[in-house]
Parts: sequence; structure tokens; C-alpha cells
Amino acid sequence: MRGTAAAGVSATALLAGCLTGGGDGGDGNEVEVLHGWTGGDGADAASALFSAFEEEHSDVPTNVRPIGGEGNQALDQVVAQRLQSDEPPSSFAGWPGPNMLQYEGVLGDVEEEVWEEAGLKEAHAPEVVEICQGPDGYSAVPIGSHRMNDLFYNVQVLDDAGVDPDSIDSFDAFVDALDAIESNTSAQPYVNGLAPWIVLQFWAVTMLGTQGYDAYMNFIEGDGDEAQVRAAFENVEIVLSDYLNVDAAEIGFTEANQRIMAGDAGFIHQGNWAAGAYGEDFVYGEDWGNIQFPGTEDMYGLHFDSFLYPANNPSPDNTHTFLRFAGSETAHVEFNRLKGSIPTREVPTDRFNEYLTQTIEDFSSAEQRPPTIAHGLAVPQSTQSQLEEAISNNFADPYNPSAVASEFVSIV
Amino acid sequence: MLELIAAVRSDGTTGDTGDDEDERSGRSRWERLRQSDFVRSAPFWGPPFLLMGFFVYAAIGWNFLLSLTDYERFQGPDYSNLDFGMYRRMLDDPTFWEATQNTLILLIVFTVACLVAGLLLAILLDREVRFGRGFRTIYLLPMSLSFIVTAQFWKWMYNSQFGIINEFFGLFGLGPYGWLSNPDLVLFSVIFALVWQFSGYTMIVYLAALRAIPQDQYEAARVDGASTLKLYWRVIIPQLKPAMVSASVVLLLFSLKAFDFLFALFDGYQPRKGADILSTMMVREAFARSQWAYSSAIAIVLFLLSLAVIAPYLYQQHRQGNL
Repeated sequence: MRGTAAAGVSATALLAGCLTGGGDGGDGNEVEVLHGWTGGDGADAASALFSAFEEEHSDVPTNVRPIGGEGNQALDQVVAQRLQSDEPPSSFAGWPGPNMLQYEGVLGDVEEEVWEEAGLKEAHAPEVVEICQGPDGYSAVPIGSHRMNDLFYNVQVLDDAGVDPDSIDSFDAFVDALDAIESNTSAQPYVNGLAPWIVLQFWAVTMLGTQGYDAYMNFIEGDGDEAQVRAAFENVEIVLSDYLNVDAAEIGFTEANQRIMAGDAGFIHQGNWAAGAYGEDFVYGEDWGNIQFPGTEDMYGLHFDSFLYPANNPSPDNTHTFLRFAGSETAHVEFNRLKGSIPTREVPTDRFNEYLTQTIEDFSSAEQRPPTIAHGLAVPQSTQSQLEEAISNNFADPYNPSAVASEFVSIV
Repeated sequence: MLELIAAVRSDGTTGDTGDDEDERSGRSRWERLRQSDFVRSAPFWGPPFLLMGFFVYAAIGWNFLLSLTDYERFQGPDYSNLDFGMYRRMLDDPTFWEATQNTLILLIVFTVACLVAGLLLAILLDREVRFGRGFRTIYLLPMSLSFIVTAQFWKWMYNSQFGIINEFFGLFGLGPYGWLSNPDLVLFSVIFALVWQFSGYTMIVYLAALRAIPQDQYEAARVDGASTLKLYWRVIIPQLKPAMVSASVVLLLFSLKAFDFLFALFDGYQPRKGADILSTMMVREAFARSQWAYSSAIAIVLFLLSLAVIAPYLYQQHRQGNL
């Protein structure tokens, strides 16, 4: 009988343990940061960032938790569970802008303690400052930007095809270049994956390039012209149906990008994280190059990552210290030079490679910086998911530009 | 002692007052209850009962309650206004109907194909073929692999450019086919891959049942002049019904939650058109759109489908006295 009582007590203790275990919110002083940079250049960049923070603020204890997973899905899931159970981390990596709408009511405002105290409003680009403001105030601090309107190419493939990349100044010229690669080489003219977000991103850059900045901005603001949306999709269809690798549905952009590196393909459009994969043996200018997607030469397709500040913060003072650091010149240099992204503020460029230095200059001189639709900056997360579903249903081989355009206009 | 008192009282030979009788009666009931099997066994079944009740059934109940709210994003659910709005929304949602249709196709085709493939493999192995043990291990091996691994594996197999399946069809001048991109093919490509992974499991279940059939039944059928086909069709397969039923339940329940395979195959919450099932839709609504109440409603539909699968099995077991 004593044995059974002991079993009962242990079970009760186990139950109590399960009920009170909860999340690991730290000791109320420690800065717990969740992020999704678990591999490659992202992991190196995150490591450099937090090392620099610990060096500069050795008195602030940190608990950095990388959470891997395709497209930050695992990170987002953990964040959602922590926020729902009212056990937020000190900060987490996430997209700012409309993406923050999903967190309305659970993010805090750091305008005074971070943005004003560290002078970040004056330091960062105006579009960036504006996008960091959400329904709960200034809840985000930028850490680095990827360019979204680059078109990367393999130099040798274009040479063999007799294509001069600098002459590609219109969508038709781009199609001519693809034709030339197909006719004159054995390489695939255009390579990519066919995941809905990749197609959404390609549509967005085609919309910007062929229909113009205003047409794109009107669309994301809910005043899109269906004819322009359809026209952009028709252009996308030309590239995807005639020049894309046949196994696009079965590969991701990483594998697609490897074909550029192997000389098996001519062009790829991606955020400029694609360039981060090229490494030292695949040399900028000699082995690979980039142009802006035709029609977007004066634009900088704006994507940026940020750290978000949850309300009911477990370590408010130390989190403010961390976020002030995240927006600083030191943090932006340490993080971005390794991540293959660029700072959203002015910094010395001597520690950046040639390609990133050029991108930093383009960021400063761009006439327009349209926010990316496939990464939370242009539309809320739920809208983005619906747009991806519309693509999956109507524009993923077979392609139906009319149906998807109609759905796009009704969704946004 | 209490029993003795109760017995004496029932004889009517004592002069106790009514209050004493009540008190003794109460004590007697309490003592009987304390000594009953129910209470004495409580330390054994109580903790698991409480744990199961809390973590499984209370969670299902809470999930149902959530599905009656309008809970979205992170504002917290409002339990003051409960209705069936999410279920009405479901009825008007074409994505839900498409996912339901795909779920049912997956459920039926996958289960039947697994049962047939498993049966054929089990019969072949039961006939003492050479290297039978090696084949048994080979057929069972896919079952031990993670879905993440097998999804990547099948992605390569199905690749339109260099995948072995298209290479095979190419030998006959066919293809290449977009096994994972063509909306008309994609669900069957998924089912084929899942059958590959699970037919080893059904094979083992059938094989165990086949080995339990006495050898003299085979011999008797042979003496009666039954061909091999007739032997299996008339004598052996009818005796495999219990194994088939239990394997079916496991397969049916699995097919309702084939989320992780699809997630790995399509790198996210949005499978290709034609392959969306209720479980992928449920996770997408929750974690890509923060539609917690709607997602809970889809979860309840999945739960009801699971009940519909398992209830006949439980009823049959109950009738046979196994429960």
C-alpha cells in the first residue's frame, strides 16, 4: 500500500511539474533572444553580433537561442507559443512592417528608450524607420537589409550565349537574353524553385519592372489595378513556362543557386542572400555578376530583418540595451558583412566586399525603396499566406494569369 | 465488526435508537466504499486517469471551446460570445472542401493500397522464399525512417529532370511527368510514397497472423485439391480479418495526420495544388495566419473523422468481449 501511495505522490508531482514547468523565461535579468539564423553565413553573422554585444556590454547576461527551420517557420511557431502563453522572450528576430499586425497587443513600444535614446531615427533610412512602427508603436529595431530586385547571372554562361548583361534594359531584352542562352548554350536560361513565396517574389519584381513603382504600391495599399496585375503575371508566365528548369517544383532556391555556381544555368532572381552563398571561389565580376531586374534600375527592393520587442518583457532594461546595440553602427557592420546583407544606416564600407559595397551605395542613392511583399514588409502575414495559396492554386504550372490576378486583387 | 453490528441490527434484537442506526449505517457505507475494489485500486488507475483526462480529453474540450470563439492573432480568446461561426465559415470555404476531398482520397486509397501491398508481401515471405529474413528487414526498413528523410528521398526520386522514376518511364518513351507539380498527379505521388513507407508495417501484421494459422489447414486444403490461389482466397485470407482490421485502423489514423510528410515534401505549410489535406490546412491557418479559432474548428473535424474511424473498431472489439 505504501508503494502505491508513493506512486500516486510521484504521479501528482509529475503532474504538478508539467503544469508549472512552462517556458524558460530566464531569471528576469537575462536577455533571451530567439532567432532563426542557424546555419552558414546567418549563423556566423549572429555569432559575430552577439559576441560584439557581449564584449561591449559584459554586464548584461544573454541567452541566445537559435531555432532552425525552413523560412523561419519553426521560429515563428515557437514565438507564437511563447506569446500565447504570456511567456515572451526578451526579443526575437522577425520582419517588421505589416508583419507586426499579427502581434498587435503583445508587442511593446521602444520609441523613447531605444529609438530616441540611441538616435536611431536620424541614423536609419526614412522608409526603414517608418516600417519599424507598428500598431503598438516602435516595436522593431532593424538589423540588416537584403536587396530584392537583383538578377544574378553566371558570367561564363552569358559570355557563351553572347549576352551583354548591361544591355538588358527592358523585360523584352531580358527574354531575348534568355532566348540567346537557350539557343547558344546547353545551360538552363533561368533557374529557380517553384515554391509559392518564390513565385510571389518574382511576380513582385516583375510588377515593379514592367508596371512601375506606383502600380506596385497601389496594389499593396489595396488599390491594385487588375489589368496591371494580370500583365505582370503574363510576363512571369513567359519566363516560367518557357525558360525555367523543369524540376523547379522539386527543388528549393538553394539547389537552384548551385546550378548558377556550377555553370548549368544563366540567371536566377532571389533576394541577395543568393550572393551570400557564392563564397570565395566563385568570384564577383569574374564568375558571377548582378544587374537590377529590368525596369527597377533606380529602385532598391527593400527587405530587412529586425528584432521585435514583446510587451510584458521579462528583462525590459537589458532588452533596451540590446536593442540600442542592435541598431548601432557596430552591430550593423558585424552582422551584415557576414550575413551578405547591408546596414540600413550609413556605415564605413571598408569591411564589406565589393558587391555589398556597391549594394550599400545603391541603397543610399535609390529613388524608391518598395517594400517586399513576400517577406512581411508590404502586407500582413495572413494576406501574404492567402496570396501564396492563390499562386499555388492558379499559377504553379499550369499557369492561369487571369484567375490569379483576379484573386490577388480581391485578397489585398 | 461493522458487519457484525449490521447483522445484529438486521435481526432486530438490539435496542439501539434511530440516530445510532443512521450513524452506523453511514459508517458501514463508508467502510464498504473504502474497502471496495474501486477505491483500493484508485492509486493505480487514478494518476494515469487524471493525466489522460487533463492532457488529452480536457485539451480536446478546450480546443472545441476555442473553435466556438473568434480567436485570432494574439489578443486572447473571448469566451463570452460563443457560436458556430467558424464551422459556418468552413462550409463556405472552398479550400476546406478541397482539403477534405483530398483527405478522404488519401484515407481510402492509401489504406487499401497498403493493405493489398502488405498482404502480397506477407504471402510471398510466408512461402519460405530464399533470403526471406533479409527481404523482411528490407521491406520493414522504410517504416523506421523519419518522414523528413523519406520526403527528401522521394523528392529526388520524383525529380522531373534526373529523378529515377522519370528515367524509368523515359525508357519507354514516356514523360517526363511533373509528379510533384501536376495537380492531377501530386496526391497519388504522395500516396505512392506513403504506401512504400507503410506497406512493410502491414506486411509484418499479416505475417504474424499467417504464422499463427496451423500448418494442417494448408495440408487439408491441398488434400482437397485446392490450388494456391483458392487456398489463400478461401482458407487463409478469411482468417486474416482481425489483422486487417487492426492494421486498417492504424493506417487510417495515420493518413489523417500525414502532415509532417507533406510539410517536408513541399518545404512549408502550403502544399502544391491537389495535395492540401485537412492537417496541412489546420497548421497553415494556425501558424501562417494566426487564425486560432478557425484552426481549432478544423482540428475538431479531424477529431470527428478519427472517431468515425476508430468507433466501429471499438464497437467490434466490445462485441467480441475484448474490451
